[in-house]
This record gives sequence, C-alpha cells and structure tokens, in this order.
Amino acid sequence: MKKKLLSIMLGSAMIASLLSGCATAVAPQAGNDAAAETGEAAEAEDNAGEAAAETAESSDEPVTLTIWHQSVVDTDPVKIIIEDSVEEYHELHPNVTIVQEGIEGEQYKTKIKTAFAAGEAPDISYMFSGGSFVKPYIDAGYLLPIDDLVQQETLDQVLPGMLSGCTFDGKLYSLPTITFLANLYCNTEMFDAAGAKIPTNWDELLDAVEKLKAAGYTPILMGEKDRWPGMYWYDIISARTAGNAAIEAAFGDTSKFNAPEFAAAAEKLQELVQAGAFNDNMMSMSYTEMLEGFAAGQGAMIYQANWIHPAIMDEAAASSGKVKCVAFPVIDGMAGSVTEFSGGTSDGYYINANCEHPKEAVEYLEYLSKKIGTVGYQMGAGLPCWKADGVDTSTLTSLDVESAALMETGTSYIGWWDNVLSAEDSETYKDLVAQVMAMKITPEEFAEAMSKLSPSEFY
Amino acid sequence: MEKILSDKKAIFLFVFPTLLVLTIFVAVPIIISGYYSLLDWDGLGKGTFIGIKNYTDLVKDERFINSLINSILYAALSLFIQLPFSLLLAILVSNVKRGEKFYSAAYFVPVIVSSVVIGYLWQKIYNGDYGLLNSALRSLGFEGRDWLGQENTALIAAFIPNLWQYVGYHMLIMHAGIKSISQDVIEAARIDGASPSMIATRITIPLLKPILEVCVTLSLIGALKIFDLIYVLTGGGPFYVTEVPTIFMYKHIFDAMHYGYGSAVSIFIILECLAFTFLLRIIFRRREEDR
Repeated sequence: MKKKLLSIMLGSAMIASLLSGCATAVAPQAGNDAAAETGEAAEAEDNAGEAAAETAESSDEPVTLTIWHQSVVDTDPVKIIIEDSVEEYHELHPNVTIVQEGIEGEQYKTKIKTAFAAGEAPDISYMFSGGSFVKPYIDAGYLLPIDDLVQQETLDQVLPGMLSGCTFDGKLYSLPTITFLANLYCNTEMFDAAGAKIPTNWDELLDAVEKLKAAGYTPILMGEKDRWPGMYWYDIISARTAGNAAIEAAFGDTSKFNAPEFAAAAEKLQELVQAGAFNDNMMSMSYTEMLEGFAAGQGAMIYQANWIHPAIMDEAAASSGKVKCVAFPVIDGMAGSVTEFSGGTSDGYYINANCEHPKEAVEYLEYLSKKIGTVGYQMGAGLPCWKADGVDTSTLTSLDVESAALMETGTSYIGWWDNVLSAEDSETYKDLVAQVMAMKITPEEFAEAMSKLSPSEFY
Repeated sequence: MEKILSDKKAIFLFVFPTLLVLTIFVAVPIIISGYYSLLDWDGLGKGTFIGIKNYTDLVKDERFINSLINSILYAALSLFIQLPFSLLLAILVSNVKRGEKFYSAAYFVPVIVSSVVIGYLWQKIYNGDYGLLNSALRSLGFEGRDWLGQENTALIAAFIPNLWQYVGYHMLIMHAGIKSISQDVIEAARIDGASPSMIATRITIPLLKPILEVCVTLSLIGALKIFDLIYVLTGGGPFYVTEVPTIFMYKHIFDAMHYGYGSAVSIFIILECLAFTFLLRIIFRRREEDR
C-alpha cells in the first residue's frame, strides 16, 4: 500500500513537471503543490549549482495566493473587480491561482487580527485606509515591505503624493487604489420644495436647516450609533474653524487642541443639534440605516465620503439623480477655507511577511491596485490614485464628476481622524464627539479632553 | 457494568477523550488568557509583563463597574421576572385542554431564531420614526420616543428582547418537568377538592424544585454572559449605558487594541460565573438539608 502511494506520488510529480508551463490546473490544488515540491527537489539535485535555471523554472511553478478583503456589498464595484480578477489574472498568469474571500466590515477587523496572531493570515489582506489601523501590524513585523519587489514602471503610474500613505518608516508597504473625499450631499428635490439654498457658508446652512425643517423634512441624517459618522462632522467643522494646518500641528502636539478654534468647532456642532438639524433617533441609527435612509429620501443632507455614490445613485433609490455634492460650507471669519478637505487617503492591500511567493504576490498587488484605481474609478467607487488618462469616463455619474472636480480644487487633505490617532485615542475621540452631540459636555470640556490624547504617530 | 467500572484501563479509555477535548478547548485557553491578562499587549506585537496591573485598573474603571452592574441587574431581572413568567406559562400550557403542543412550540420559536435576527426585529419595533411601539403609542395619543437611543430607556429596552427570547426556553424545561409529575398525585388532590391554583402552588411547584434549580443556574450564568442581542441592538451605547462585561471585553480587544486588558475581563467573567455556580449549589444543598 505504501509503495503504491509512493509510486503514484512520484508518477504525478513527473507528469506535473512535464506539464508545468502549459497546464492550467492539472490536479486538485493540494496535490498539485505537493507534486511541484517533489519535482523541484528532484530538479535541485540534478542541476545542483545552476541557480539561474531554477529561478527560471520557479516562475512557472503553480502558485496559490489568498486575498482577504471586505468588499461584500453587491453594489460595491471593488467587490466585482476582485471577484473578476480571479479569472482574469489566471488567464494572464496561468500558474497563479487567486483565492479571494470577502468578509463584512466589523467582522473583518476581528478576523484579520485573529488570523495574524494565529499565523493563519492570507498572503494579501485589506487594511482600512492604512494609518493607525495598519500600523500595529507593521510594527509587529507581520507585513512585507515591497520596495525591492515593486517595478519602477508601476510606481511611475501612481499620481504624485499618493504613495506617502503607503509608506511607513521610509518603507513602502502597499500601493494606493482609489481615494475618498468627504463632502456634503444635498437632496435637491427637498431643497427646492423647501425653498432652501444649497449652503456655501455656515449661516446658509443654518438657514437651510430651518427651511427644511419647516417644510417637514429631516435636514440632516446622522447615524451616531456607530459613532464615526458624527466624527466626520467634527473632522470637517474643525477644518473650517481651525484649518488643516492647525489640525496637523495639534496631531503632533495634542495640547494645541485646547484652543478656542477647536472648542468653536464643537460649539458649531452643538448649534446644529440645537437647531434640530439631525434626526431625533440619531443615537440609535447606524451608518447603514443612515445611508439607506438618505437613499430612500428620509433626509435632505448627509456628510459622507464618495463611497456612498453607488448606493445613492442606484436606480432603485429614491435619491437617484436628485443629489448634488458640494464642499462643506465655510465659516466666515474663521481660519479654514473651502479648499481644505477631509479624506484623501487610500485603502490598500498589504502582503503578509510570511508569504511564500512574495514576487508573485507583489505582481498581483500591482495589477489589483491599478485595476481598482482605474476601473473602480470608472465604476464610481472612488477617485483614482493612478494616472487615469485614456480611461473612459462616460460611465461616471454626475456625483462622481462633481466630487472629482472638488478634489481638483483641494489644497490640503487630512485623513479620517480615527486613522490618524491611535486605536485607543480614536475611541476616546469618537466618544467625546458623541458627548458633544448629546450636549453632555461643553465645547471647552471637549477641547480640554482632546488635549490629553497622545500625539499621533503620523505627524 | 461493574466489571467495566472496576477496570481502571476501561475507565481511562472512556474518560480520556472527553478530558482531552476539555483540556484543549477549555482549560488551555483559560490558562493562556490568564497569562495574557498579565500583559500590556495590543494583540499583535510584543507584550510587556505588567503583573496584576490590568486587574487593579479594572476594578477602578467606572465603565467596567457600570457594565458589571448592568449584567447583575439583568441577572436579577432574569431570576425575578423571566423565570416566574416562564413558570406561569409552563403551568398554564400544561393545563390547557387543547393545543398544548402548539403553545409550547409557539413559545419556543424565539429560542430557535438567531439572536441577530431577533435584534433586527426589535430594532424595527423600537425605531423612533416608524417603529411598531411608537406607532402604537401615538395612536393611543402618547408621545413616541427613541427607545434605544435615549440613555434613560436604552438599558431596559435592550434587556426586554433578551428576557422575551429565553422565556420559551425555560418554559419548555419546566413544562417537561411538570409533565413528569405523576398524574396520580394531581388527581388525588383534585378529588380532595383542590382548586387549580392550589394544585399549582402546593403540588406542582414543590415537586418541580429540582427543575427550577436547573433553570435558575442556567438563567443566572446565561445572564452574566449575554452579548449578541445587546451588541446588535445598541452595541453598548449610547455612552456605554447598555454595556455589559462581554461587550466591554470585545471592544477593548478588537477596537481599542487592549488585548491584555480584555483578557483580564474574560478571566473576571469566568471567575464570576464559577463563583455564582458554587454559590447556587451551596444554597440549594442547604435547602435540601433543611427539608
């Protein structure tokens, strides 16, 4: 019995080495790998010393790469791109098989962390907007720097400045894909019905809130159960009161948060709460409910990033074709300008330091990142981090065009604060904003509590 | 049988597989968590040994104390509202003339349904705009409110679905217990002229004591470990008023990256459950001796 097994194994190893190069998938994956290994061992013995020959051989050896991501919503273009890439990439590189798995947001965070700690992480994994989410993984040595593996030709196609978010301690770990920008989305139908004007400054915003409310609409939808939607509001209001430069300085030295302009931002947020701008049930509404609510026409405004486009431009959505995207209103007499934005960071995919085929993994990373950057842009997933000349933009919705135009006016960008601050401080910050919105703390108390955070590792 | 039990090898053979599984999947993880709880560790990089600092921080952490009080409050509600209600239902169901099986099955349905589904269901009931509860209140002329979003109502609103879900579970156990009581005793009582309420209080409930003890233990331990429904309904918010120790632990481990601190909470929960189980056994045993 044992002899028989051995001869079968040897036989299949021979066949596999004969077929390698032209075969797509000869045997089931596991068997294939084993066969290749035996074949390789035999070869190494035969051509001892001929290292060059061996490397040439190894580029044809069957390789399986696993990728985990969190694009699971059917309207999400990234989900479609990753799923399609499996077959497409296999045609381009017959020896490479991609195994993809999508896991929903919150669960993904749990799963990826457990997998890395247990040494069972995939070859390639998605990391939320880089920043403080990915930092602990890099510090622990779980991820692979790709400087030596990535082709200069690929790097040349990335838009200027976009690599900085993928670089940690001077080493490149990922490639950018698409970037996101948060803006104010207004349902024009409701604005028209209420006789309100799309706001360009704070007074107009308050005026619009009043008119929309009088007309029976919920002026702004807020899903504060998840806490980060409220955080986005404080992020941008402080960009208007203090300006991005002051925020960056405060990230480096958090005592600077205890300043009138940061208290003023909290005060402005409370002004909106007191004007009844938000839905009454904001504390029990989740992000998903907020987005679905806006798409279903339950509110006139939402401040979110451009990843919401597919959902609100969906043909089935009540909001389809009625939404306009504008930069967040300026606050007259304050430091911030209309060209300062929240966002500008890119999601990225990172390679496991223990990946057995780093060369192939980086090749796939280059392919996938560029594909999401260009095709994803075309499909409305976000704005490109790659030179997109020659990409057909006729499929873009009006919102995609508007947000791309806003991006071009941008003079400075700051990523989502929960990606700039450490995981622990992000929790504190989100709690503080929620407390401001519930009128539990005063703007001064908020500013003082913010000054007690640790400085960000990125500024 | 006796022969087998006297054979040490046979005993070993039968006990060993279970013991092995228990050791690998229960004892070892607990010991490892115990070790982690002594570290300042983010779960990814290298941890530093800090002794019992996590525990001393824990007892001073107001958020944790609050979550602990919540879980004890919930345990009390389970014991003093959920269980009596289940008992009442069990007695009623076992006394209906027709459709006994239908009723016991109907009350059991929420137990079968996944907690996440129940969570979404109740979210819709509680919804501030179009929720069933608010619609009903408004049609009666009362003011609706955001049940899960307001601090003064969120806790009780999050507990009710939990209590409701497991009523059927305890009812089923008690119902089975009632059915196993000999009909002779009940019939004899009836002949002696006992009313249905007298039969329930003087015969059914005293004879049901062993079953009730099981239900009390299950309900108490279950209450200390609740997680899923509350996580779906409120996620511990607003402002942590609905947080229970398990959610506190989850958030520390996965959101704030405090693996060591979270492990200390998990050890605390294990010890808490063990302590309560022993306490209950002592109480029950003393009662038995009194009898």
